[in-house]
Amino acid sequence: MPSVCEVASLAEASALLREASARGRTVSIERAGGEVELRTARLDRILEHEPGDLTCVVEAGLRLSELNERLRPFGQRLPLDPSGDPTVGACLAGDLSGPRRHRHGTMRDLVIGATVVLGDGTVASSGGKVVKNVAGYDLAKLFCGSRGLLGLVGRIALRLSPVPEASRALRVRSGTLQEACAKARAIVRSSLEPSALDLTWPGCDLLVLFEGSARAVGAQLETARSLVGGADEQAWGAVDDCRPLAAGRVPVTLGSIPDVLPRYERAVACVGAGVAHTVAPEPPDPRDPVEIALVERIRAAFDPAGVLV
Amino acid sequence: MALDPAFVDAVRRALPADAVLSEPEDLRTYECDGLTGRRVLPALVCLPETTEQVQAVVRACAARHVPFVARGAGTGLSGGALPVADGVVLSLARMNRVLSVDLDARRIVVQPGVTNLQVTEAVAADELYYAPDPSSQQVCTVGGNVAENSGGAHCLKHGFTANHVTGLVVVLPDGSLCRLGGVAADSPGPDLLGVFVGSEGTLGVAVEITLRLLRRPEAVVTQLASFDSMDEAGGAVSGIVAAGILPAAIEMMDRLTIEATEQAVHAGYPQGAGAILIVELDGVAAQVEEDVAAVERICREHGAREIRTAADAAERALLWKGRKSAFAAMGRVSHSYYVQDGVVPRTRLPEVLRRIAELEREHGLRVGNVFHAGDGNLHPLVLYDERVPGEPARARELAEAILVACVDAGGSLTGEHGVGTDKACAMPLMFGEDDLAVMQRLRRAFDPDGIANPGKVFPTPRLCGEVPGPYRRHPLEEAGLAERL
Repeated sequence: MPSVCEVASLAEASALLREASARGRTVSIERAGGEVELRTARLDRILEHEPGDLTCVVEAGLRLSELNERLRPFGQRLPLDPSGDPTVGACLAGDLSGPRRHRHGTMRDLVIGATVVLGDGTVASSGGKVVKNVAGYDLAKLFCGSRGLLGLVGRIALRLSPVPEASRALRVRSGTLQEACAKARAIVRSSLEPSALDLTWPGCDLLVLFEGSARAVGAQLETARSLVGGADEQAWGAVDDCRPLAAGRVPVTLGSIPDVLPRYERAVACVGAGVAHTVAPEPPDPRDPVEIALVERIRAAFDPAGVLV
Repeated sequence: MALDPAFVDAVRRALPADAVLSEPEDLRTYECDGLTGRRVLPALVCLPETTEQVQAVVRACAARHVPFVARGAGTGLSGGALPVADGVVLSLARMNRVLSVDLDARRIVVQPGVTNLQVTEAVAADELYYAPDPSSQQVCTVGGNVAENSGGAHCLKHGFTANHVTGLVVVLPDGSLCRLGGVAADSPGPDLLGVFVGSEGTLGVAVEITLRLLRRPEAVVTQLASFDSMDEAGGAVSGIVAAGILPAAIEMMDRLTIEATEQAVHAGYPQGAGAILIVELDGVAAQVEEDVAAVERICREHGAREIRTAADAAERALLWKGRKSAFAAMGRVSHSYYVQDGVVPRTRLPEVLRRIAELEREHGLRVGNVFHAGDGNLHPLVLYDERVPGEPARARELAEAILVACVDAGGSLTGEHGVGTDKACAMPLMFGEDDLAVMQRLRRAFDPDGIANPGKVFPTPRLCGEVPGPYRRHPLEEAGLAERL
């Protein structure tokens, strides 16, 4: 039976990983698989929030919903909208995002600093808590998508966004992917500035989200409707979004979507990001073998005893 | 120690005859970058035209442990492209082609020697542009921008180079080629692309770069607000941020810089103002209209004496001309100046500016303040006369004291100029030993022999003396109230 360990501080996590490295015991972070399962549920504090700076520093185990709840009175939010209610650490280590990445990007664009605990227990910080900073390597970005295999992301500094006054979505139905892409192209070539532009398969629906002042959102929605038709969508994000089931991510462009998406049972393409989340079959690892070898060298440097699984 | 002749032969065989420079008068061109106070003559300069040629040079360097320094246009201000004696400078200037454009995907693929402005020029006819806009954008190269994670005035809303690079092909320090990202930055593993951007040439050489392009906004409005004091202008900046408005840029200039700039380029800045703000809003017309009104109201609430709005592109260009020529204009009021680059949390701007004023008095030198106020990125210009004995050293001390003030306020050593050689010894102000050691582990995973741009970013005993710089814990950290990030 694996032992489950809910650490209450980075010092505890460091001691646990140092001990595991010394004894050759495997550790898995926030999942099964290791002889010890390290959990971050107790690392759930907001350490700093300076509303005037639009930044905050949080612990990795804090739920995204809890963070945004606490930021709401200040009219601020972390503009990430992954499915479910993951922790901030999972958003970073699992590279989780949702439709709004079209405008706001993913964790790699929002994280401004991090404190990590490496596989050998070393605690290290990089970045800082200012929105602009190029001092030293950006280890916080390196840990984006690292899936607990380089170390524990303990503390995360983030840039925040104002909560928009209004938020309205449009659903545009199409018969084919070609037709949906033509409509997406009309939006992309226009001067509209959507917060999200998703294209679904097999539904061939285009979902367009606008955020901002009520008047500006209304004006954009009207322009979009005159360009591509469509109807107001109330249940934004809840319909057809197969991201929670998606096993793969494949690069796509409006040119390649009609060829690529039908290879999968279901998919949702984030048009601006150039990526589709796909459900079955699982796509091959798209990485260059040289990149995979490089990742292994970094793992060996950060987790020399190989405890993280 | 001169280069091994066998090494030089190997490089000459791989490159065109005119692409290898070894005569001292040719090498002289490459002895420094924009940080002209430090100069080192390299042993060899290579000007490869293809990825294969870059690989050939790097492989030859790897085989004989010869250090190499990649270089773009040499406009960097932190000595990041300072050559290593007995090493090779790898100039990417001849790799200057736009490889492809996908208008629907809003992506462009370029070689590293393409200039920042050429990217926008290549897609301007299609209403697209490349957002990061360092002041040197007419000459600085995309390869250099990737190495430094360059910023610019318009990064407040649109982000830095790292937010706009979705793919790279890099030559690793062993000469192998590696593709990171592509049309999308997504990867099933750690974000190597993200850490490569801004690594200052220490992890490899980018030879192919995929950039995200933005659509020209429907509306752009530039406003100029003048205030009696920097405190008032700083208050207006905080007010704008707190109101949930995200301008494309908020720039601030102080009295000294306004006067110098006005003499130099006659941008029409209000005379006698203690500070001006240039605020640019872009986006959909309906939103910009509302934000312009809100910015005007907030500036008036904070004591703005005068607010002007640029009515057309020509007026906007004139407002920006003053800001963009501010550094050069300082040459008219001072014999020499040193450009500092530090960052503070936006809310700490007023107190740090007061601290800089104190430091001016303590050191008996003047400082011009012109900076990206929206993101707290200060560019104090320390004015001095290098002919006066002792002044250059005092200027240096003052510039360093400003950095300490920035870090003490919870900020950073550098917002966009990079660490390079200039600030390597200051890194311990911001990072502890373990932090730096972990960064070095990453570096060695990419470059076990340390041949890619050695002597940059990290403090070394040779560069900084045997005693490591003073890492000082923040008072809150001392009190156990905050842990350092």
